[in-house]
Amino acid sequence: MEDLLFTGLFLVTLFFLLGSGLWVGLSLVGVALVGMELFTSRPVGDAMATTIWSATSSWTLTALPLFIWMGDILFRTRLSEDLFRGLAPWMTALPGRLLHTNIVGCAVFAAVSGSSAATLATVGKMSIPELRRRKYPENMIIGTLAGAGTLGLLIPPSIIMIVYGVTVNESIAQLFMAGILPGIMLAGLFMGYIGIRALLQPDLMPDQGDPMNFVGKIRRSIYLLPVVGLVLTVLGSIYFGIATATEAAVLGVIGALLLSLLQGSLTWENFKESLLGATRTSCMIALILAGAHFLTLAMGFTGLPRHLAEFIGSLGLSPLMLIFALTIFYIVLGCFLDGISSVVLTMAVVEPMIRQAGIDIVWFGIFLVIVVEMAQITPPVGFNLFVLQGMTHHDMGYIARAAIPMFLVMVVAVGLIVAFPEIVMYLPETMRQGPG
Amino acid sequence: MIRRCLDGLYLGAGILAALFMMSIGVLIVSSVIARLMGSYVPGLNQYAGYAMASSSFLALAYTFRAGGHIRVNILLTHLQGRKRWLAELWCLGVGAYLAAYVAWYSIRMVRVSHMLGDVSEGVDATPLWIPQLGMAIGSTLFAVCLVDRLVAVARGAEIEKAGGDAAAVE
Repeated sequence: MEDLLFTGLFLVTLFFLLGSGLWVGLSLVGVALVGMELFTSRPVGDAMATTIWSATSSWTLTALPLFIWMGDILFRTRLSEDLFRGLAPWMTALPGRLLHTNIVGCAVFAAVSGSSAATLATVGKMSIPELRRRKYPENMIIGTLAGAGTLGLLIPPSIIMIVYGVTVNESIAQLFMAGILPGIMLAGLFMGYIGIRALLQPDLMPDQGDPMNFVGKIRRSIYLLPVVGLVLTVLGSIYFGIATATEAAVLGVIGALLLSLLQGSLTWENFKESLLGATRTSCMIALILAGAHFLTLAMGFTGLPRHLAEFIGSLGLSPLMLIFALTIFYIVLGCFLDGISSVVLTMAVVEPMIRQAGIDIVWFGIFLVIVVEMAQITPPVGFNLFVLQGMTHHDMGYIARAAIPMFLVMVVAVGLIVAFPEIVMYLPETMRQGPG
Repeated sequence: MIRRCLDGLYLGAGILAALFMMSIGVLIVSSVIARLMGSYVPGLNQYAGYAMASSSFLALAYTFRAGGHIRVNILLTHLQGRKRWLAELWCLGVGAYLAAYVAWYSIRMVRVSHMLGDVSEGVDATPLWIPQLGMAIGSTLFAVCLVDRLVAVARGAEIEKAGGDAAAVE
């Protein structure tokens, strides 16, 4: 009984601190502190300091700032123009034509960047004005972009996968590999949706522009070669076991610097801004992770995760039912919290639950990323909606409505990876063991 | 005068943090080169981890001033005037307390590591208090920064728009 009361108090503190607007990382520290004081007589402060120290000084975590930096460097290059110009000629033959540049552009940029907002901003910067000029329907431009931007989370490198991997102590290289095929599949589903819409309502789409011959197409897309090379080097080195995730990240940073040097966009100003920007972003995440590790320690003392896992176990839910329940849970949570916070906040409780249910931890990571992606485009808190709002000045409701079909497409994607877990597991199972 | 000193301190620590972040890359490149040449330099991985911790903590205050730490602002955006001001004071007050708590025990950890002569469990066998210094200094600066901000807002400084550049990672 007393335990139940304490647990209730603990949860109320959590929602109160987070809800009142206290910074997420500090909220987690605060909740953990309250929990430790309630449930143990151990000296709290010292345990906290050593936990935070070992969490933040871990070697696995070093992949995080490097991949953030890589994305930040490329974000400041001319890549957005190159992506649009290079991809557009190839898309004109498909039903829905240039709308597909949104999807493919996002998929390509997602493979060099770990963030969905950066993906969205980079691709949208160029494609929104170009598509508008050609009179594509506005809600299709916005909707497809909102959906495809989330590929930044799923297609490696992915910041949220690093956070997940560090939190559950799972190989980041494996998680990255697991994200590739589902990412391509999701991009394909998005394109399929555009194609079907275009075939059903042909008058929605504007007329085709001037067709281009094959040589012209090749000439236009030659600018994309360096990016494609970078993607293949970074991901290939992980898949073939040549480099660990961190080493691949360094490779990515060097490649990104070379690429922007080649383009002539590597100024001292750009370099400095990318470095400081990445420092801030990675510091922000590190604070959340530090708080989350302390919270996990506190949670351990409360016994809450174990009780909950046992409770769920006693219900005799099939893994399928459990996954279904968790999908609903994370979508609701994602309405109020950003992706990284919802992952770190819940894993202390959810991890024992899924391990007990015999669900593969790598597979679950990919599932979680897709569900978090869905949360990115659901109001009131959805970062992609914020970014698009800033770029287009439409109101949130309009953007959210435009994104609903993409949300449904993602539901289909979740269904597919549940039905065919091989889509996720094939690459991690066939990859070569890394050096570390 | 004090204002300029503090702001300079936050920015300086931020730049130092950025250098530590770059040093992670340099350390990893060195370890890869060493491996390719068939030799092995012990401890490089641990050093990269230490650089990561130092970078994260030293950047805390600077990131805070740049509005880089995220918060849930569904409620905050609905508050105005005096209520908004009180809410900000609450956040800054609790935040300052928690940051000070972390700073206090980080300093204690450094002292204990130094006193007991703790060394890293890895092959590097570094005396732990040296890399832990970054965490102690950074978290202290963070606490100072939050108190600084609390005092400023209490005396009527403008409240910045909540949010920050969190979108950069999502």
